[in-house]
Amino acid sequence: MPRTFRIWDAVAVVILFGLAVLLVRNVLLNMQDAGLEPGFGFLLGQAGFDVSESLIPYSPDDSYARVVLTGLINTIVLAGVSLVLATVLGVVGGLVSVGPSPAGRMLASGYVELFRNLPKILVLLIFFVVAVNGLPPVREAISLGPVHISNRALYLPTLEWDRLLWAPILSVLLAAAIAIGWRRWVLVRFARTGQLGPIAPVTVGVLIGLPLLAVVVSDVPIIPSTPELQGFDFQGGVRVSLQFAVMAAMLGLYHGAQITEVVRGGIQSVPRGQFEAASALGLDRRRTMRLVVLPQVLRIVIPPMNNQYVNLIKNTSVGIAVGYSDLMSVVGTVINQTFRPLEMMLVTMGLYLLLCVAVTSLLNQWNATLRRREGKP
Amino acid sequence: MTSVSAWAKDLFATPLAAFLTLASGAFMAWLGWHVLSWFVLQAVWPWQPAGACDVQSGLCWPFLVEKTRLILFGTYPFDLQWRASLASLLLLTLAVLTGFQMIGRARLPVLVFVAIWMAGLTLAVLLLGGGALGLSSVPSVFWNGLPILIFLAIAAIAGAFPVGVLLALARDQQTYPILRRFATIYIEVARGVPMLTVIFVGVFVLPLMLPTGTFIAPVPAVLVALIFFHGAYFAEDLRGGLQSLSVGQREAASSLGLGYWQTTGLVRLPQAITRSLPSLVNSIIGAYKDTSLVVVVGIHDMISTARMSFNDPDWRTQALEAYVFVGLWFFLSCAFLSAIGRRLQMERETDQL
Repeated sequence: MPRTFRIWDAVAVVILFGLAVLLVRNVLLNMQDAGLEPGFGFLLGQAGFDVSESLIPYSPDDSYARVVLTGLINTIVLAGVSLVLATVLGVVGGLVSVGPSPAGRMLASGYVELFRNLPKILVLLIFFVVAVNGLPPVREAISLGPVHISNRALYLPTLEWDRLLWAPILSVLLAAAIAIGWRRWVLVRFARTGQLGPIAPVTVGVLIGLPLLAVVVSDVPIIPSTPELQGFDFQGGVRVSLQFAVMAAMLGLYHGAQITEVVRGGIQSVPRGQFEAASALGLDRRRTMRLVVLPQVLRIVIPPMNNQYVNLIKNTSVGIAVGYSDLMSVVGTVINQTFRPLEMMLVTMGLYLLLCVAVTSLLNQWNATLRRREGKP
Repeated sequence: MTSVSAWAKDLFATPLAAFLTLASGAFMAWLGWHVLSWFVLQAVWPWQPAGACDVQSGLCWPFLVEKTRLILFGTYPFDLQWRASLASLLLLTLAVLTGFQMIGRARLPVLVFVAIWMAGLTLAVLLLGGGALGLSSVPSVFWNGLPILIFLAIAAIAGAFPVGVLLALARDQQTYPILRRFATIYIEVARGVPMLTVIFVGVFVLPLMLPTGTFIAPVPAVLVALIFFHGAYFAEDLRGGLQSLSVGQREAASSLGLGYWQTTGLVRLPQAITRSLPSLVNSIIGAYKDTSLVVVVGIHDMISTARMSFNDPDWRTQALEAYVFVGLWFFLSCAFLSAIGRRLQMERETDQL
């Protein structure tokens, strides 16, 4: 094919280039007027404002870069917790909505309809208002055993941190690796010799036994740290701010409703013949689900789930509305203080893109593995 | 009656069904009791004195009686609120008309349809903003509550549609690789960042990009940002429709001697739009709901006017009433859109059979 002059390509390049030059020129002029030099150097300057919560040591004396990192970590933790919550809710909801009980189906579809028709920010604000007005102040906190709930925060028990705790934590990872390796070895041997080995008992045994062994051998002190009311606040344990709890509840329920639909659609799209064929082969109900239906559902469900997870990560940014110190919210404050919207928005959008791409590529990889296992390209 | 008794029998058909029925029944009863007690048993009715709201924990009607107008129109000049109502009514009529057009109950020719839209939007802006035809001018900072919500949502969706069409066409073609690359990058980036970041770009970065000395108010700035943001989502929906068309359509059109624009405008695009309507409606519902996020950059949509209503020292504890009122509006309007979406989906499925 002869190389032709591609007129619309040329037009696109010229227009975009021209636009870019014009916009950059305007930005430079405007920033010059405001007495600002474009660049990222300001990120090292002192932030001077505090955040509502932080998982890394942070004080107002730290730099803007550090406060952005604080926000990013808050966003990631919130996304991680909400992701698990939404998935559990969605899978349960999806199973109930195709389940045998009409009452359950009604509840599931009511749940989906309610959250489909409300904006997430409104759901968030309603939860927040109900929690702040409905829950008691710290000194009269509701106590459920070692868990305390007030209108400021949730207080959960935890373990007193000790360096030796690394032993059981690492042993869990080791146990997981061993379990995966064992499973693979059994399957390989099964393919070669037809001999089947125990998978489930070994997995459970290793996952429980190894950490127990690590605790005994390393003699790590297991001291529970329970929250106790002292003066105006609780001491000890873990404090989960109300903002975080409300955000996690909103994201979990909102995306849980959407995942319910995804799961329901996935299960219903498995043809009836698959169930019938499985029972004709003599598989019982449990095996039919595990060996025939679920693998197919999984394959159908992964792409839309991927979508849901990306949306969930993006929706953590709504936290700004209730003052949760996520990435978006600290960036808002930084912009107000430094008047550097261009640089800050580039950083922020880049970080969100990175998060979304990371999750997407992880799930895509898993999807590819599943397809390969089925012998698909 | 047989279906009802069959239904009742299903409730406890197996142990699992019985368990699910009991669990969800208990939950629904618990929830229903709370809802009933808030809406009815503990409610303070409109004819009761407002002071009763401090005693009873339920829905406070006197608050809604006094504040509904504030929640609907916010700080829009009180005497001119008929203009804001008229603009809202006009925009809602446009939306309903479009819904009917989608499901085929109204069959306007495309050009007439587009003309009605342009006229409607212009008239709505004129009614809201004034400054011509003897209407006094109202700056966009005073466009509050319901009018700004539907104006931003509808104008953004209307503006994003052509952007989406162009992006989808640019990404769908093979002839101009650079153009396709640009469109792809744009779509993927826009879909990979939260809408709030895009709104921030509109409010804070866009003014910087304008020539020195020009000023853009937050409302138009946000509108521009929303148009370019939703455009990327619409583009992906439309591309799905374009890709589902068989190559034969294009080949048949070019064998009739039609050029690219004729093939696209007369043959491919109309079919692609019809096919992607269900997913487009989903994106539209999302876009409409997300419009409420503009409250974060200080545009006073209904969530913000709801806040105004309970920031009044007399009504501090009535936040839930205000939010439930807004929630009811969203629920009803989204239910209308969802109904259209379901209708389209059903048509789609019967077509495929």
